Amino acid sequence: MKTTILVILLSSLLCLTAAAETVQVTTRENALRKDCRFFAPVKLKVTLGDRLTVKGRKGDWYLVSARGVNGCIHKSAVETRSFASAGRGAATGGASADEVSLAGKGFNPQVEDGYRKSNKELNYAAVDEIIRISVSESDLESFVLKGGLIQP
Amino acid sequence: MKFRIPSTALGLMLLPTLLSLFLAGCKVSDLTPERLDAIVSSVQSIGKAARPLSDDEEYYVGRAVAARLTASYPLYRNSRLTDYLNLIGQTIALHTEKPTTFGGYHFALLDSPEINAFACPGGIILITRGMLASVKSEDELAAVLAHEIGHIIHRDGIAAIQSSRWTEALLVIGSNAAREFGPKDTAKLVSLFEGSIDDVFKTLVVNGYGRDQEKNADSAALEYLAAAGYDPQGLTGYLTRLEQAGKGSKGGILATHPGTEERLENVRQATVATVDTSSLPSRSKRFAEITR
Repeated sequence: MKTTILVILLSSLLCLTAAAETVQVTTRENALRKDCRFFAPVKLKVTLGDRLTVKGRKGDWYLVSARGVNGCIHKSAVETRSFASAGRGAATGGASADEVSLAGKGFNPQVEDGYRKSNKELNYAAVDEIIRISVSESDLESFVLKGGLIQP
Repeated sequence: MKFRIPSTALGLMLLPTLLSLFLAGCKVSDLTPERLDAIVSSVQSIGKAARPLSDDEEYYVGRAVAARLTASYPLYRNSRLTDYLNLIGQTIALHTEKPTTFGGYHFALLDSPEINAFACPGGIILITRGMLASVKSEDELAAVLAHEIGHIIHRDGIAAIQSSRWTEALLVIGSNAAREFGPKDTAKLVSLFEGSIDDVFKTLVVNGYGRDQEKNADSAALEYLAAAGYDPQGLTGYLTRLEQAGKGSKGGILATHPGTEERLENVRQATVATVDTSSLPSRSKRFAEITR
């Protein structure tokens, strides 16, 4: 019995250690950058739920690795994960279906779908159009430079 | 701002569960992956019981609010102006404490002569053609966007949701262990979602934000503008025009408490960082070229 409890405690400790070294992407898409600043070259695209191994901190940035690639990601794009994500495939860079399901419970696409069905007058087509609007990083960098603004 | 269970706390919550299993006569071999998953799910449900809206939930609220706004105000489709708006907005966002949101920041124009701007939770910011026409420089336009970004980062729209709705939603969420909700739970959540959208919409369009919310969004805007290299005085210029336009008008952005006059006074009294204004003429030139 003593041995069993010891095994469980050790396993829990190992899980907690792994969790402390892992962060998970909380935005739909993001990137690992070569240097810890916006506009630095992108080394790897990451998406919601990807798990990243933390190598260090630099100001508001995490130094992380995923899929064998090292890079920087801003702290606002990740969160530290709890037990469930720590023990299972942290190095693979993908959340399990269970985790995604749990994370997505609440006001989610299923609820939005129900809301849309009962409110046909809503203009979700316009919203999808707005969400697709994007400016390229090179255009943004050039805009900042030409306007005498400060590089982020 | 998400509620998270610290790893240590989660471990402490999990241990008694595991120990009780052994005390009840379970063996290690009884702990199948399925049972472990069930335990983990239960612990996570406990942790979720008192959480605020998460970033992804905020995103779906924001989409719904934007869908309602664009049902009343059609989009003004001018790619040159829309790109310009997004370049200014993204530049400011990158200098805030929250440069990225779940779905990102997106800026669009509404085809209305009214002077108005709306910060939909999660990152969609809509301004009217009337607002664009009322500002006189890129730095004033940047001030409009910085103020709205402030409302998003402070979650002022989300704060309008009646707490009882979210408490009720959490009960439904917490009671359901399945990956998808059943028809009854879905209907309940859709109803609570609809009520939440009504709350946010009413604040954005009819009642306006509260005194502290406006003051804090203005303070944040001054910081963001200075950090990005824009002249914070752009906010004074924008509020001055808003005050002039507000005479005899009501509703939307002009229905805020405090009124524009008080906001203007607060901004004038605020301590503002000094910025290099030598590039103001080049920004004013491109503003004139793009908006003419």
